[in-house]
Amino acid sequence: MAQAPRSPSPLSPSPLSAGPILSCQQLTKAFASRRQTTTVLENIHLDVAVGDFVTILGQSGGGKSTLLQLLGGFIAPTQGQVLFHGVPLKGITPKIGMVFQENTLYPWLTVEQNIGFGFKVRGKKRRQYQPQVSDVLEQVGLSQARTLFPHQLSGGMKQRVSIARSIAVQPDVLLLDEPFSALDIQLRRRLQGFLSTIWQDTATTMVLVTHNVEEAILLGQKLLVIGDKPGRIIETVDLAAAPFRDRYDPQFLALQRHLETVIETDAQTQAANLPGTYEPLAPSTPNPIRP
Amino acid sequence: MGMAIAFIGSIACGLLISLSKWSELFILPILGLLAPIAPIAWVPLALVVFGVSNLTAVFIVFMGVFFTLTIATVAEIKRLPDNLLMTAQNLGGGSFNCWRWVIIPAVLPGVFTLLRLNFIAAWMAVLAAEMTGLRDGLGTVVMTGRNLFNSNLILLGICIIGITGFAVDRVLLFIQRKFFWWQV
Repeated sequence: MAQAPRSPSPLSPSPLSAGPILSCQQLTKAFASRRQTTTVLENIHLDVAVGDFVTILGQSGGGKSTLLQLLGGFIAPTQGQVLFHGVPLKGITPKIGMVFQENTLYPWLTVEQNIGFGFKVRGKKRRQYQPQVSDVLEQVGLSQARTLFPHQLSGGMKQRVSIARSIAVQPDVLLLDEPFSALDIQLRRRLQGFLSTIWQDTATTMVLVTHNVEEAILLGQKLLVIGDKPGRIIETVDLAAAPFRDRYDPQFLALQRHLETVIETDAQTQAANLPGTYEPLAPSTPNPIRP
Repeated sequence: MGMAIAFIGSIACGLLISLSKWSELFILPILGLLAPIAPIAWVPLALVVFGVSNLTAVFIVFMGVFFTLTIATVAEIKRLPDNLLMTAQNLGGGSFNCWRWVIIPAVLPGVFTLLRLNFIAAWMAVLAAEMTGLRDGLGTVVMTGRNLFNSNLILLGICIIGITGFAVDRVLLFIQRKFFWWQV
């Protein structure tokens, strides 16, 4: 199905952005304690193109969030590097926004103040950023709730405000760490549609991490499956040419089944192997998307 | 007034201590040493230094709550979820603005709650000071009752002390609910 026409990005493209906006090569992250070193991610190669929507799928505790934190500059890799616009990433930057899994809204601020917080914390005057905040409130359909405090909002609304707060400051890339995992299935589906619309409207590059196969297929232009212990990419699916919009499409169901099998087989293989050693995986069901 | 100075001072000191690992290592134990000293124990020293004046009462209240509150501020800052600060940094906040707009508002309710709880101890210390050295106040009323063998005056003094303490606590509770109602 064809995508809706994309509006131009609110950000002027960087002269360096001819290549991937965000990429990493041989990225490895290990956490060392006194007794042992645990490799959470191993040899991750990833290229995110401008305007892309990449979904990263994997089991809980498989290192997906760690990968996202590496991509956002929140933690430093053990090996390899993350390149943002071709330049090594040195730490947290407002150009790479992050929406966390848990609620990180400031409880003492209203919805409107939370959305404008990115400007306020940069020292801007309220009258300078108020029009932008009003636009974002309109865009995400939260104008009615502008004066409410976070504790007066439902879980879904809180996540909408979190996403709105991140897009208000117009990041080049938005990272989303299982933003809908705490929500029920109906709300989750509504918010998936919401996120998709935001992506189309703002043309922000997005990287979403999830353990939900359906979500990963529905939202992603490019889907990466991360295996468990240590986390590494075990499958890549390119959905840009024919993105799914119908979750009951036989091909969609076949792909969903295939990905679930890939994850399950990997988990079983890893459980059978000694820690730290693993074999490349041969998927037991064919990938219906792969030609 | 002692409470207000202690509240502002302890938040400021708590923030400053939290800025560096070294200050936490060296200053916190000193505060830990000073905090358990009962406010009443400061009374003689306050009388010597400030004489018989209102400043003595202010000093006693301040000493009674300041150290505990400073330790509490440091603890509150440590307790804050990382994501709260990381989000502000991610949105482009510099360290000063992050402290100003995130950490201070986040710790205010917890510290104020403790201030309210510590008020009772400070209140008792002031009364003790009034009974022992200061020449006016409710403590003096009770002591005058004792000196005159007037049990009615003693009981009146005690009642007023209780009611006043309760009223101040309610006022603090009102301030807490009105201005520091959020929880992080």
